[in-house]
Amino acid sequence: MKKTLLIALSLGASVIATSTMATTIDPEKDRQQFVDYFKAKNPSIAPDEYINGAYIYSADKMAQWEAAEEFPPYLDAIDEGEALYNKDLAVYEQCFGSDVSKIRVKYPYFDETAKQVVTLEGAINKCRTDAGLKPYDWKKGPIAQISAYLAYNARGQKINVKIESDAARAAYQAGRDFFIKPRGQFNLSCAKCHVDNSGRNARSNTLSAALGHTTHFPVFRAKWQNLGTLHRRYVGCQKNIRAKPFEAQSEPYRNLEFFQAYTSNGLEINGPGYRE
Amino acid sequence: MISKTKQLLAALAISGFIISTPITATAAEPSASTLEEGKKLTFSRSKGNCLACHAIKGGSMPGNIGPALIAMKLRFPDKQKLLDKIWGTPESQTVPNSMMPPFGKHGILTDDEISKITDFIYTL
Ligand code: HEC
Ligand code: HEC
Repeated sequence: MKKTLLIALSLGASVIATSTMATTIDPEKDRQQFVDYFKAKNPSIAPDEYINGAYIYSADKMAQWEAAEEFPPYLDAIDEGEALYNKDLAVYEQCFGSDVSKIRVKYPYFDETAKQVVTLEGAINKCRTDAGLKPYDWKKGPIAQISAYLAYNARGQKINVKIESDAARAAYQAGRDFFIKPRGQFNLSCAKCHVDNSGRNARSNTLSAALGHTTHFPVFRAKWQNLGTLHRRYVGCQKNIRAKPFEAQSEPYRNLEFFQAYTSNGLEINGPGYRE
Repeated sequence: MISKTKQLLAALAISGFIISTPITATAAEPSASTLEEGKKLTFSRSKGNCLACHAIKGGSMPGNIGPALIAMKLRFPDKQKLLDKIWGTPESQTVPNSMMPPFGKHGILTDDEISKITDFIYTL
């Protein structure tokens, strides 16, 4: 037992450390190792539970959070998202079809023609500009509200990102490399905080596991007092380590989202979420 | 002034560029005011912010990413090694994937600040 744990842990570390030399990684194997790593690290936490972020590590915080989720502060935002969606309904139905519960689960995906990752927010704005409407700002406001409305209608469905070509594999690999590479003045990587040290505290903030990171976005953060997209969070984490952040919806972040979503395959969509 | 410029250079050249002139730990007994300054720098969120990761006597709400900073003289009989660890000299980086930021090498803190923090930490 102890041996398996050690192997899994060092696997986690070496998967993380040696990735750049591997030219062709098998995403599905990679994902399984990722999940196994967290299983070995915390055998009492089932993979399904990772959709609830850092709260899974503390019974107290989980109880507080569950209480907050009873009357969650994002309900108004979902209503606003619905109103915004219906305002331009004809346009959106052209792009997404008429069933709002079937949209969120399709994203992110790899567009084999354009050879790039398409995110839900990206698709919303493209739909708007193609129809001559003004695009929304990327990180908060209307785009986050519409994304929240679509996530809410997709709750309970499972993340199901597909990789079916070399180009898609390359996007996964690029996101994975981004995730692992230390950067910024603090010389930290996403992986150091959200893989190696998940469950530990940075001051009083418990570090969440990367597994399940994308399931509950957009997120209403107490700190923001409003809703923000996944890429807003990426910008925040990069600033915290004093790295120069990329633009929301830039290619590096879309690839990062693709990697993070793929590794969360099979987990339930539970957005929008509430976080400290 | 010189160390400010250096800090700026380091900030600009974080990836790759290495400043390879680590400073020497002070041998003399540090003054009370140096220790007081070192303590402030250690605890300040915008400076050392060491509490983000380490429990340190006298500091509240520490993280637990790194080991508690305690009994430093026992762990670092050679004070220079302690300073090098905080500064982030290549030889001091022995832990793979460590979270410990290279404070001097990446220009997060000035040499003078690191020296004062080392003096303070060495009393723990
Ligand atoms: C210095 C440590 C650190 C680094 C490096 C870091 N983060 Fe974070 N991150 C945090 C903390 C602290 C939080 C808030 C607590 C939590 O939910 O994990 C957070 C939150 C998040 C969340 C929200 C989790 C949730 O449940 O809502 C995501 C997503 C995330 N980070 C992704 C990333 C990515 C991607 C990177 C690399 C670009 C990164 N982080 C780098 C510390 C870090
Ligand atoms: C982002 C997290 C983080 C921050 C901030 C941080 N450290 Fe660390 N530190 C670590 C980790 C993790 C280790 C253990 C791994 C290692 O030795 O590299 C460590 C190790 C150390 C050690 C070696 C301890 C030993 O007994 O081997 C010293 C000394 C130290 N840190 C001092 C400091 C000081 C002083 C500061 C602030 C100026 C600081 N650290 C800030 C994470 C951090």
